[in-house]
Amino acid sequence: MDFSSAYQITGSGLADFVVRMILLLIKIAVVIVIAMLHVAYSTWFERKIIGHMQIRLGPMRVGPHGLLQPFADFIKLFFKEDIIPSAGDRLVFQAAPMIALFATVSALAVIPFFDDFVIANVNVGLLYLFAMSSLSAYGIILAGWSSNSKYAFLGGLRSSAQVISYEIALALSLVGIMMLSGSLNLVDIVEAQQKHWYGMFVVIQFPAYILFLICAFAETNRTPFDLPEAESELVAGYFVEYSGMRFALFFLGEYIAMIIMSCIAVTCFLGGWTLPPIVIQALPFLAFVPGIVWFLLKVYCHLFLYYWVRATVPRFRYDHLMSLGWKVLIPVSLANIVITAIVKYAF
Amino acid sequence: MTIKKFINTVLFVEILKGMALTFKMMLSKPVTIQYPDEKRKIYPGFRGMHAFVRDPKTGRQKCIMCMKCVNICPSQCITLKKGRDENNKPFLEQYDIEALRCIYCGYCVEVCPVCALVLTERYEYSAYSKQDIYFDKNRLLKNWDDYAATLSGDTYWNKFWRPDGIDSSKMPKSKREQAPVSLKPVLASPYVPASDKSTAAKVAAPDADIQESKEAKKEAE
Repeated sequence: MDFSSAYQITGSGLADFVVRMILLLIKIAVVIVIAMLHVAYSTWFERKIIGHMQIRLGPMRVGPHGLLQPFADFIKLFFKEDIIPSAGDRLVFQAAPMIALFATVSALAVIPFFDDFVIANVNVGLLYLFAMSSLSAYGIILAGWSSNSKYAFLGGLRSSAQVISYEIALALSLVGIMMLSGSLNLVDIVEAQQKHWYGMFVVIQFPAYILFLICAFAETNRTPFDLPEAESELVAGYFVEYSGMRFALFFLGEYIAMIIMSCIAVTCFLGGWTLPPIVIQALPFLAFVPGIVWFLLKVYCHLFLYYWVRATVPRFRYDHLMSLGWKVLIPVSLANIVITAIVKYAF
Repeated sequence: MTIKKFINTVLFVEILKGMALTFKMMLSKPVTIQYPDEKRKIYPGFRGMHAFVRDPKTGRQKCIMCMKCVNICPSQCITLKKGRDENNKPFLEQYDIEALRCIYCGYCVEVCPVCALVLTERYEYSAYSKQDIYFDKNRLLKNWDDYAATLSGDTYWNKFWRPDGIDSSKMPKSKREQAPVSLKPVLASPYVPASDKSTAAKVAAPDADIQESKEAKKEAE
């Protein structure tokens, strides 16, 4: 969005500003509503996938094949009693889920969903995404601290340690992408991938892609790195004391974070809304399919991967988690940066 | 760490193997039985709702008040009370099974010398009040009638009446002589013994019971 003209608040400039603002608000509303629906159905999708992987059926009762289950869950959560621990820090307790949710939802602003559809086409998009995903960790830590419960506190502590460890490797794994595309702007990154015949940075940055996926699992507190909410030892982790709508906010935040991590992976490694030029050349009719279809398909594949891994891999032990983060992922991502830099300089 | 192990770790070989397995499982047929819509096949020997077998000859239960079921019941959920009528003849005054305490072991069925009790194959009798799952002797007979109506065939035999693996010579004579219960000749009107005309009114009530046949008692002894 170009705001430079918005400052001329005279005559048609003001009208222009108002129109831009209204359009922007509509855009935001559309993205948030679609994201919320995706969260609702990604919970359904997750339960179905994991159910079938465990040779069960998953939700089947509410609506055909349980399709209305997310709404039933939402109604249940919405009407539940909102309990605030008397010994907890009331203000922080109430603020924490909102911090967690708003930080993740605002990351949606810079993601290019398809051609020219991005709420804010900022030049530091990738940096902004990192900032927002680490801000959401504040919500988790504050929730753990303000609950005044040992389980929630341990969950919050683990989360902070985990985010610090994996944030570094996450950012470093994308440095190769920044060097190859020469930009932090996500639209530019997608367009830079189109200049190559393979059209996806995953081809030449495969180790970085794997690193990014591992770090994304840790960053979103998903299995096998779900130690902050390890239910077998911490009951539910940092949101033990939360109930009703406040719990739902954390839940929403977690799933939106998953979707955003999938979006970043798709944008940076899989060519966003585009298909590789070689595929378009081979099958020209695919060029008429709207870009959002490819984007969503790629995102759904990543979400499926999240659920697939959750149904397969057991939880890491805490010291393994730390040693993996510091002793393996960070050195490997640094090596990837060095090799990428040398190769880029050489060619 | 050997080189092979190192390569396996770097390439996630074991994780990928596990993921291949879960993916294969996802494509296999779920084992879920969607209970109210589809029901599981009941195999012989299923132990469900309790019932008193209605004797086709007398139209009443066969109980001879020997107290064996009361004594053997591990959860002690059977209450039996023997009463005496004005002719000083014993009759079954009270026979209650508290089904909520029952563990469905089937010992009462196995021990009964006259095969009066049965654990039927009905299992859908949850209720909103505790009273509805507290079976007295009339309710037990009604359970049998409801169950018998669902049976096909002329006779009914429960495998726990004469359990496998027990030498039948060690069973009481009455138990050895038990034949499968006939389901067909259901009495149109309850049987009234000639000697009990004075209590005919009581007997006329379908489930009321005044006295047990002396023959049954003798057989048991």
